[in-house]
Amino acid sequence: MKRIYCDNAASTPLDKDILKKMNDISERTIGNPSSIHKFGQESKAILERARLSVCNSLGCNRSELIFTSCGTESNNIALLGILKPGDHFITSTYEHPAILKVANILGKKGIEVSYVRPHHNGKISTIDIEKEIKPHTKLISIMFVNNEIGTINPINEISEISHNEDIIFHTDAVQCVGKKRINLRKTKIDLLSLSAHKFYGPKGVGALFIRDGVDLRPTYIGGSQENNLSPGTENIIGIYGLSLALEMSLDLMEQRNKLTTKNESLFINSLKELNLNFNINGEDRLPGILNLTFMDILSTDLVMALDIDGYAISGGSACSSGITAAPNTLIEIGLNEDLAKKTVRISFGKDITENNIINLAKSISIIIRNTNE
Amino acid sequence: MSKLDKNKVLVAMSGGVDSSVAISKLKEQGYETIGITLKLWENTNPTTGKKENSLCNSTEAINAAKMICDRLGVHHYTINHIDSFKTHVVDNFINEYMGGKTPNPCVKCNSYVKWGNLIEQANKFGAYYIATGHYARISRKNKESVIQIAKDKSKDQSYMLWHINKELIDRTLFPIGEFTKDEIREYAKEQNLETSDTPDSQDLCFVMDGDYRNFLNEYMPEKMKNIKGGNIKDESGKIVGNHTGFTDYTIGQRKGLKLSFPEPRYVKKINPITNTVTIAKKESIFSNRCIAKEINWMISKPNIPLRAYTKIRYNSHGGSSLIEKTKGEYRISFDEPQLAITPGQSIVFYSGDILIGGGIIKGLKKE
Repeated sequence: MKRIYCDNAASTPLDKDILKKMNDISERTIGNPSSIHKFGQESKAILERARLSVCNSLGCNRSELIFTSCGTESNNIALLGILKPGDHFITSTYEHPAILKVANILGKKGIEVSYVRPHHNGKISTIDIEKEIKPHTKLISIMFVNNEIGTINPINEISEISHNEDIIFHTDAVQCVGKKRINLRKTKIDLLSLSAHKFYGPKGVGALFIRDGVDLRPTYIGGSQENNLSPGTENIIGIYGLSLALEMSLDLMEQRNKLTTKNESLFINSLKELNLNFNINGEDRLPGILNLTFMDILSTDLVMALDIDGYAISGGSACSSGITAAPNTLIEIGLNEDLAKKTVRISFGKDITENNIINLAKSISIIIRNTNE
Repeated sequence: MSKLDKNKVLVAMSGGVDSSVAISKLKEQGYETIGITLKLWENTNPTTGKKENSLCNSTEAINAAKMICDRLGVHHYTINHIDSFKTHVVDNFINEYMGGKTPNPCVKCNSYVKWGNLIEQANKFGAYYIATGHYARISRKNKESVIQIAKDKSKDQSYMLWHINKELIDRTLFPIGEFTKDEIREYAKEQNLETSDTPDSQDLCFVMDGDYRNFLNEYMPEKMKNIKGGNIKDESGKIVGNHTGFTDYTIGQRKGLKLSFPEPRYVKKINPITNTVTIAKKESIFSNRCIAKEINWMISKPNIPLRAYTKIRYNSHGGSSLIEKTKGEYRISFDEPQLAITPGQSIVFYSGDILIGGGIIKGLKKE
C-alpha cells in the first residue's frame, strides 16, 4: 500500500536532487575544515560557500550566521547566551519546548520571565508584549509561525518595538524559513533560529542568525568552530544540504505556497461536502499547517486509523516515552481539554496530489462513521 | 464499531522477547498484525520529582517494540493507560499492603488494564483478536474457549490470568504457549529479532529495584510515616521481638525477622490494627482451609461443590481441593495442608490443565 505523508510540519522528506548533490560532494569533504592541508581547505570552502548561500537567502552577512545541529540547539544557544540572573525575559506561553523549557529553568535561576498568551485567533499581540516590557527587560523571544496551528505572528512589529526599547529580539522561525521570504536587513530581528528538515533539507542541521553586535556567551565549550558557539567539527554535508534546500525553497516558494493553499482549500471543501463536523483553528495561517478539531473522534483514534489506511497526520506532540499529549498550544488559544483531544494537525507537502487529498477526506469520513456506529 | 476481522490481531508488546516472538509467529501464520504498547507507569524520582522510566514499558522497551514491528513491516502504536493502571493496580496494591495483605498486582493489571483496553483498541481497529506474550494456551473445545496452562510448565503464567472476563478469552491468542522459553529465545535469534537477549521481565514492573518496601516509602512517604514498629509475638501471645512496621512482612516470611531461635520461625499472621506480627514454627503455618472472595469463573457452568487442583501462589505446586459455597462464602478445603496460605494472594483453580477460575484469599478458616 502506498503511504501518503501529510505531516510535513513535523519533518519534510529530504529532496532527492539535494540528496544526490550531498552524495556527490562527500568525496570533497574528507578533511576537517580546521585543518591546514588541501583536504581541509576543500571542506572549509564548501562550508563557507554554504554559509554565503544561506546568508544571501536570508539577507545577512557571513559573520552573522552560525550552523548548529537543529532548531532546538539554536534556541538554546540564543537564550542561554544572552540571559543572566537579574535580567527580564519575555516570551509566549505557546512556544516550542526548546524555548518554554529553557525559560522555565532560567526562571528558577534568577531570571524574571513574563509569559504572553496568544489570543483565540492563535496570534500574539504586539500590545500585550509592550505591556510586559520593564526597565531590565533584556530579551524577547516570540515564534514566527506557530508549529501546531500555523499562525503568523507580527514579528516585524515586535522586533521594531524591541529595537526601540533597546531589547534584544529572538524569533524561533523553524516553521517559517523556507515558506516565507525573510530579509533580515529590513527587519530588527537580532536572533533567528531555523532548521533544514522543515524545508526538504536533511535532518540534524540548523542555523542561528546573530546580528552583528549581539554578543552571546557560549553554551557548549570546545573548539572555536562557529564563532565558539557551536563547537565541534562541522556537519559539512548536512550544512551543504541545508544551503541547497533553502535556495530551492526560495526559488519555488510562491509556486509551492500557491499549490499548498489550493490543496488546503480542496481538502476543506471535501470535508464540508462530506458533512463532517469540524473547526479550523487559527487565523492568518502560513500555508502548510492545517489544525482541525473533528468533533466526533479523538485525535489518537483518528491518527492511528488513518495511519492504517496509509495517511500520516499528527495528533499531538509525541513525548520521548512514545505517548502523545494534547499540544499546549491548543489550550493556550482557548480550546478546552475535550476539544484539544479531538484536534489534529495536517500539513501537506509539495508532492501531495489532488487525488490523495480527496481520498484522505473520504478516509476521515469513513473512520468517523465507523467509530460512531 | 467497524466489523471485526478474524484475520486481524492486535498484539500487546512489552518490548521483550516473548511478545516480539508472539507477533512474529502470528505474522508467519498469516495474520494481519498491529503492535501496541500500553504505557502504564512512570516512576517519580523522590528527590528530583521528575518522571522517570519504570521497568515495564520504558522508552527503551517501546523503542524495541518499534524496531520489531518495523522489521515485520507492521504498524506499532503506544497508548497511554497510566491513569487506569494507577487506579486498578497501584492503588489496590497499596491498599492491600496497608491492610496487612500480600497482593498480586499482575492479576489486576491483566483483567482491569490490559484485556479491557486491548479489546477496546482491537474494536477500533476492526480486529477480532488480541494477543499477548503470556506463557499459556487457549483451548477451544465444545464451542467454549478456555485457558490452558503453558506447555512449558516452569514458565506457565495462567495463575495471573484468572481474573480476566471469560467472554474475552475467545478473542485472545497466546502464540508462545506451545513453546519453552529456550525455544522462544532460539527462534528470536534465528529471526534476528533485536529483543532476543532482553532479560526476563519482573513481576512488579512499577517497583524499580524490585523491593516493594522502598516503593511504598517513596510513593507515599506521609502515609508510611504512620507505619510504626511494633511487637513480634509468638502464638501464645508472648512478645518475642520487635518489627520495623507491619508492611515490611509477608505471611510465610522466614528471612529478616532478626530473631534467634533454635528452629526457624515464620510469619504466621499480620494484624495491622494491633500492629502485631505473629510468628510460629513451620509446622504451625500449614493449613487445610481458607475463604476466598472476588471469585471469577473461567468456565461457563461450574458445579459447586467442585473438586479442583488449586494453587495458592504463583510458585506453589498446589494441591487437590474441594470448593464449596456456604452462606455466600467460598470455602476451599485442601486434601493436604498448604504452607503459608496468604491473604491477598490469588487462589487459582484448575481442572487438569484447564484454568477454571480463581479468587482472592480472604482469610484462613479454622477446622
